[in-house]
Formats: sequence, structure tokens, C-alpha cells
Amino acid sequence: MTRRGVMKGISGIAALSMSNATIADAQAALTDPLPSDPHTADTYRSIVDAIIPRTPQLEAELGPEHVPGGLDAELEKFLIWDFNHFQEIRSEMVTEKVESETGLSMPTALFEFDLDLGGLGSPLDALLDLADLTLLDLLDLGLNPDALEDHLDFGAVDSIDVGFADLDTSTEGIANFEITVDSDGEQYHQVLQNYPYAPVFTFAFDVVAAEFLAKGKNEEPPAPNEKFPAGGTFTRLAPEDRLRCLWTIVDGGAVDDLDELLSPMLPDVGILKYVVMAVNGLHGFGYYTEWSGYGSTKAEMPNDREMEVPAGEVQSRTQTDYPGPAPGYAANWRHAVPGGFKDPKAKNLNLPDDLAGDDVIDGLGGGSQ
Amino acid sequence: MKNPDVIIVGAGADGPAAAWKLADDHGLDVLILEGGAFHGNKQWPKPHADAGGTVSTDPADLDGKLLDEQFTHLEADANDPTWGYLRVGPADHSRAPWFRNLHQNAFIWQISAVGGTSLHYFANHPRAYPYAIDTQDHWPISYEELVPYYQLNEEMTSTQQAPMTGKEEVFIEGATNAGYPLIDSKNVTETGWRPQANAVEVPGRETSNGQPLDADYEGSFSYDDGFRGDTLVGDHFQGSSTPVDAPVRDKARKSSNVSYVPPALDTNKDAEKGNVAIRPNAYVTNIETTGGPGSIEASGVTFRDSWSGMTQTVEADTVVLAGGCIESPRLWLNSGLPDDGWVGKGLTTHWFDWVVGVYDDDTIAEINPDGEHMDPYIGQNSAVRFDKPGVGGMEDIGMSPGLVSYADYLFSQAGYSFDTPVDPDEPWDTRGYVVGEELKRRMSDYRQTKALLILTDDLPRQDNGVSLDNTFSDEHGAVPKIKWSPHPDDDAKRDELCRIAARIHREAGAEHVHRCDWPPLLLHMQSSMRMGKVLDSNAEAKNVDRLFVADHSALANGLGGPNPTNSGQALALRTADKIASLYF
Repeated sequence: MTRRGVMKGISGIAALSMSNATIADAQAALTDPLPSDPHTADTYRSIVDAIIPRTPQLEAELGPEHVPGGLDAELEKFLIWDFNHFQEIRSEMVTEKVESETGLSMPTALFEFDLDLGGLGSPLDALLDLADLTLLDLLDLGLNPDALEDHLDFGAVDSIDVGFADLDTSTEGIANFEITVDSDGEQYHQVLQNYPYAPVFTFAFDVVAAEFLAKGKNEEPPAPNEKFPAGGTFTRLAPEDRLRCLWTIVDGGAVDDLDELLSPMLPDVGILKYVVMAVNGLHGFGYYTEWSGYGSTKAEMPNDREMEVPAGEVQSRTQTDYPGPAPGYAANWRHAVPGGFKDPKAKNLNLPDDLAGDDVIDGLGGGSQ
Repeated sequence: MKNPDVIIVGAGADGPAAAWKLADDHGLDVLILEGGAFHGNKQWPKPHADAGGTVSTDPADLDGKLLDEQFTHLEADANDPTWGYLRVGPADHSRAPWFRNLHQNAFIWQISAVGGTSLHYFANHPRAYPYAIDTQDHWPISYEELVPYYQLNEEMTSTQQAPMTGKEEVFIEGATNAGYPLIDSKNVTETGWRPQANAVEVPGRETSNGQPLDADYEGSFSYDDGFRGDTLVGDHFQGSSTPVDAPVRDKARKSSNVSYVPPALDTNKDAEKGNVAIRPNAYVTNIETTGGPGSIEASGVTFRDSWSGMTQTVEADTVVLAGGCIESPRLWLNSGLPDDGWVGKGLTTHWFDWVVGVYDDDTIAEINPDGEHMDPYIGQNSAVRFDKPGVGGMEDIGMSPGLVSYADYLFSQAGYSFDTPVDPDEPWDTRGYVVGEELKRRMSDYRQTKALLILTDDLPRQDNGVSLDNTFSDEHGAVPKIKWSPHPDDDAKRDELCRIAARIHREAGAEHVHRCDWPPLLLHMQSSMRMGKVLDSNAEAKNVDRLFVADHSALANGLGGPNPTNSGQALALRTADKIASLYF
């Protein structure tokens, strides 16, 4: 009963033949269990590479197993899978109406947008058009339109279209979403049973990166990055600047400043702070667990994943010298309180008058209501 | 069960305890409705792949080997918040988890399943500090009134002192050198360290070859070969179905699916007692009431089967909410019950932090002449603690590497360590996220690394808690919106505890001390439906008769810092007695 997201196909073989991609690449993309457009993949790849890079410099000191990084384990697929399975939307809970009497129904518009970068003008113009804002509005929001215009770039993306697939609000069930990304003349089309947050977040990261650069918060100059050729502004930041940029979402007011620009793409801009927690934390849930050991099944649905590598031989486990789970361990142990804790019956309890002892910090203990 | 006396909403840590007491001691018929899966039950051989049965009433349904198969002991398979078998979401794993709207750098860590969040707990069962109940002024009942229930709960859960292995010896060295005394009481009124009181059987109570479980033991750890008790594996966050092959009720760690579900189902075999039925995959969407305006009373619930989508209404004489600190208030609010301003509010979470010590081989060899490493995956996850009533506590933690990398280095509110200066007056070397080469370097020391979890006595405040989200709704109604932020007093207490933790690491000889400066981790949640505000001293809703709350949300505060499971269960046992005496 899996409803796996499927990629219906890549169109435009003519365009393909003009690009550097080979037919084999295209075939690989078609059979990839986690199809994603290059902008999405390269954006997450640039985060993975900033948090867990390859480290050839550690080989001499710690050994060759410490060289491979997160990209060697394809950790970007873990991030993309997790974000694309983050929130289910029910058909019966959405409505075509913009406002409902109960206030609980969710308008379809919340989950739909179409950003076309192929027309005249800049990526910022396209975004302003989507957000129904003008350059003057940006000034009112305290943003610098010229600087944003200079920096904002969505990489290889020509357009992104997100919306419901065959929505029927009169029927109960999980709503499917359709996402189409045109990128360098190729089209990536997926149908997913959840809101496709993974690609959408990457556009938010580019916008935040443009604002990060506009405010001069970068410590190194941005530059085209040949490791992530399809990525946008975000991937052009130096590795530590990518992380500083993400941090401005949590602790730099980026979400507040950019709320109006980002809101057409995100059903709820506020969750971006949670997303930054997850972007960092998922490296622990993915890279340092057995996840990469699922091999070719690593991005399947949970019930279809199988360990293809012995638990102790997973890349990160060779780096931590962890043998993997065991049924038990022969180890020395002892009890610290001979005979066990003292515990009188309730009627014989004789608690001291000063239950807090002498250790309460002066003046604290308040703040309660 | 057609006409239950009591419906309990939620089979987490506390619901099954209340159910057992109601049926076993008071002869009442209890229906437990659980939104998540039922693991290790023959009625649901593939709980995440297909619908399976409808209800379980027979203790013979419980199958420990099936549990072993389902709890794989693999970290991501267990704990990934999106797809792990221990997540908050529908049992069907082709579906996304249940969405909670969280607008902050924070993480909510709960489990929806029979056993609830006790499926991944370290089984730490300390009691509340008497200070927190008798002098913090939140509680309408006394500590002394809870003690008999603590004692009963400790018996039911095999609670005893935890074993000291390699990493604990390092903690004891540090705590002793720092001048802290050993506490030998369960009723903690003074500062010191002690073994955890935890709900795990003694290691190697019986072994397969009759030899004691120590470093020389070469026997099997299988129940079928005769092994009984704890096997010293730190796999509790993965579900901990050890000893392998053991029946569910004989697994060493006493999550509520091990400690309370089997005896609750046993009541069905005894004509003198009431009956208990557990229905998983049944998400309660409404509390039904009669009467009003003015006084109203609960008369039943409506639930939705998460596989079929069918809804059903069941009537009962009393309804008990035990869905936890988020789901209980969410259900209350989605049911349109009266809110006098405290429903969902006052949420506490022990304002955690995490202080990591990395040790060199010689230091460890000096403390543990027999051990080469501390090996944080050997021994129990958390077997020794520090208590400071009025401020909070801390506990020594060892875990497998994925969890360690997340908790030690990838969860912070301080930013990245490469940009985060450390105050030279503070006793830690680094602070914040650790990434890049430095992360790999630290993780290469995994076997010589352990952390101290800080548990701050954060107090209930009306600003913190659960409300209904005004953007998103799912098939159960408006989703919960969660918010928690610390009071400056909470920050000060947490800082003090972190300094003590760093000192303990230093006194044990740590070569590097790192303070994570965690953002809110909503794991030890308490008090969102607290006694004294939403509930009266019987844990009955002040504004709705015959409606009780028997989960951690009923706790009147954060207990001073000690882990909440023992107190939540003890209070649920007391509430069961109150329900019986008030209405039956």
C-alpha cells in the first residue's frame, strides 16, 4: 500500500542532447528512487558538504576511513526524503475558498505557486511578481532591492510549479502534489503524497542567502561553485558562510525580514526555524547512524529498506569504531549503594524542614504563575 | 468492549498504569484507545504495513519474538523522526508523521504507540524532589500522599538502583573529586550523586551458563538459553527488546508495554476483576459531553481508525485523557470544551542542556584498570545521576553514535562553534554546533566520549504551551501549535548546572569539555493540563465532570527536575483510585 512518489519522466530529449548530460545520466535519473531536480540536489549537497566534508587531511593522523564525507554516503538523499515526507495534507481539509466560516479549512492557494524565471527581468522580479510586491514595497520592508537583485539567483532553474494533483476536496484522503521544475531545458516532474518541502526550502535558502550577502554578513566572497553547478545563490557561499546564512534564519531575523517574499512559496514561513534545526540534526540521524548501510534501498519507503552493509561496516561506524547493535555485553558492573536505597513507608517519612537544602540560588525559584 | 466503564485516551507511559489499577483493584471495564501502533502483538504482525486486527484483550496476543523483529536496535530505523518505528505518526509508514507546528529552533521527541514515549526512554525512575511538591506551592496534594503510589509503581516496574559500568565509574570519580556525597535515599532533599533509580531489571539476574555477568562471561544473552535480566546494552532509545527471545513481560526494561500492558490484559482471565481492551490505530477526535450550559459531563469519545478512516462513538461513565502533554490539550480544545486560560498552558520541559566530556585513554585506564574505553554503548544508557533540589539535576549518558552526534554536536542554540566565542571564565572549551573536520575528529573519539544531561527545574508559565494552529488541520482537527521559551531564572539555573557538569568532567580528567547549549528539546514534557489549574486534586477536570487527566500533563510542575515517568505513573495510579471512589 505504498504510495511512493513517482517521477513521470524527463521531457525534451532534444534539449538533453544539447546539454552535457548523457542518455545514461537521464536513464539513471529515471530509475533513481529519489528523483529530484538538480537545483534541489545541489543545494542539499552543498549543506552536507559544509557539515560533513571529505577530509583527506585526516588520513595520515586518523586513518583512511576518516576521509569520506557525507556526499560519499549520498546524505543529500536522506535530507530530501525526510523533508518530502514531512507533512501530509488531507484533501477533505483543503478548500477552494480563500476564507471559510470555521477558520479551520486550508485554502488551496496555500499550497500552490508557479515561479517562472524565464520571462524578462531578474529572479527578484519574478519573485516580486509571485509575491505581488514592488521594489518600493521591499524598501518599506527594510530590504535593499538593488543588493537583493544583484545577489539573488536560482541557479539552473527556469521555472518551478507546485500544486495539487487531481485534487478532489469532496473525497477523504491524502492529497497528492505535483511538482515540475524546468532546469537547463530539462523537465523534472514528480507526484508526491506530501507537500514537496524539500525543493521549496532550497528556494527559501537562496532568498535568505541573497539577503545574507546584501547585508554583508558573509566572511568570504561568493563564487560560482563547480561542485554544485545547478545551485543558486546559497551554493555559491563558502562552506562556513552557508551555515552562517542558515543561522540567520534562527538568529538573525531573516524570517521576519523576508516573510512577505517567502510566503508565496511556503505554506508557513515560521517553520523555517525548525527546518534549520532539522537541516543540522539530520546529519546525526542520517550520516552517523546505519542509514547509508541501506545501500540501494536507502531512499525507499521505510518498510522497504534493508541493511545491505553489516552494521559495523557502515562508513560512519568505521569512523567511530562502533560495532553496531548487540544482544548483550559481557562487562564488569557493580551496585553503588550496598543493600539498596533507604525508603521508609509514607507514614514514617521524616523529611527535613528545609527541603531545598542550602543550594537554591539566591533570588531564584520564582517566575511561576 | 461495548460498554466500558472507563475510556482511556492513549496507551503511553501512564494510560496502561491507570487501566491496570481500574480493572485489577476496582473491577472496572476499561477501553484504551491508542492513536499509534501496537508492537509485539500477534494481532498486528506487520503494524506499519497493514491494518491487522482491531482490538487486543488476550495476554497471549503479546509476542516477545515479534517485538524483537520489529525493534531492530538500529538507530535511524528506530529514531528517525520522519520514518522511524518510534515516531509520532500513524502506524502506516507510507504516511508522513503527524504535523505539529513549531516556529522555533527546537525539537519535539515523542512516540505514538502502545507504550508511548516510554518505548525509547532510559527507564530512569527517580521520584520528584519533595521540595518541588511540598514547597513550590503548585501542588494541591502532598509528597507523602504520593509515596505509597511511588512504592507500588516501583514494584510494578522493577525499579531499583542502576548498575555501574565503565562510564559511570568515570562520573563517580568526577563527582567524588568535586566533593559531592553519595545519596542513598529515594526521597532526595540534599545535593549529591547517586545511582539512577531505574526501571530495568538487575543485569544478568540469571545467565545461560550459571556464571555471573561480568567481563569474563562467555554465555548467551538469549532468554531461550536461560538468560534473565538486563543485558547491559545501551539500546534503550531503539526500543530495547532485550533479552532477545524473552516474552514481552520479561523484557528487562519496563516500558509500560512491558510493565503494565501484560498485567492489564491478565485481568481478562480473572472473573473477579474487570476487563481491559486495547485498541491501537484509534485516534480520538472528540470528547462527547452531556448537559450544559453550566455544568457539563463527559459521556464518551469519538475516534477515527487511522487505517480505514471509519469513525465511531463509544460511551462510558468516565473518560480519562492520557494522550500526553500535546495531544491531551489538543483534544480538549478541538472538542470545544471550556478553557479558562490554562488548558495547554504551563508546559515545562526541564530546560535541558548537554555537557560533553572527551577523555584520553590513559585517564580512563587509570579509573577503569580493566577497561580500555568508556564505550558509551555498553551498560545502561543512563545509570548515575546528580541531584540539586531547587535547581535541578543531571544524568550521565551513553548512547550509540548517531544519537551522540546529534545530541553532542548538532543541536544548539548558540550557533556554530567556529563563530561562538567562549567566555574565558566559563569551564567549557567550546560551545555550539560542531561541524566539518572538527566534527569528524570528535566523533573519532566516540568511544571515549560521554555527556551529562542537564535537567533544569523550569517552572510552569502561562506563556508556554500548546494551542490550536490557525493554519493547518489534519484528519483529527486543527493541529497543535507548540511554544516553549525559558524564563531568565530557568536560564540561570541551567547555567549553574552546566558549570557543575563541566567541573565533574574536569575532576574526572576530561581533556575537552563542550557545552552544546541546546535549544528546547520537548521530551520531558509536563504540566500542560496541570492539577491546581485545569484539574482539581483528584485530577478531574474542574470544568467537565467525569473527565480526568492521567498523563504527565496533569503533573503540577516539572517535579524539580527528576525524570517524570515514575511521578506520572504514580499519579495515574492514584487517579485510578479516585475515579473508582468518586463514580463507581
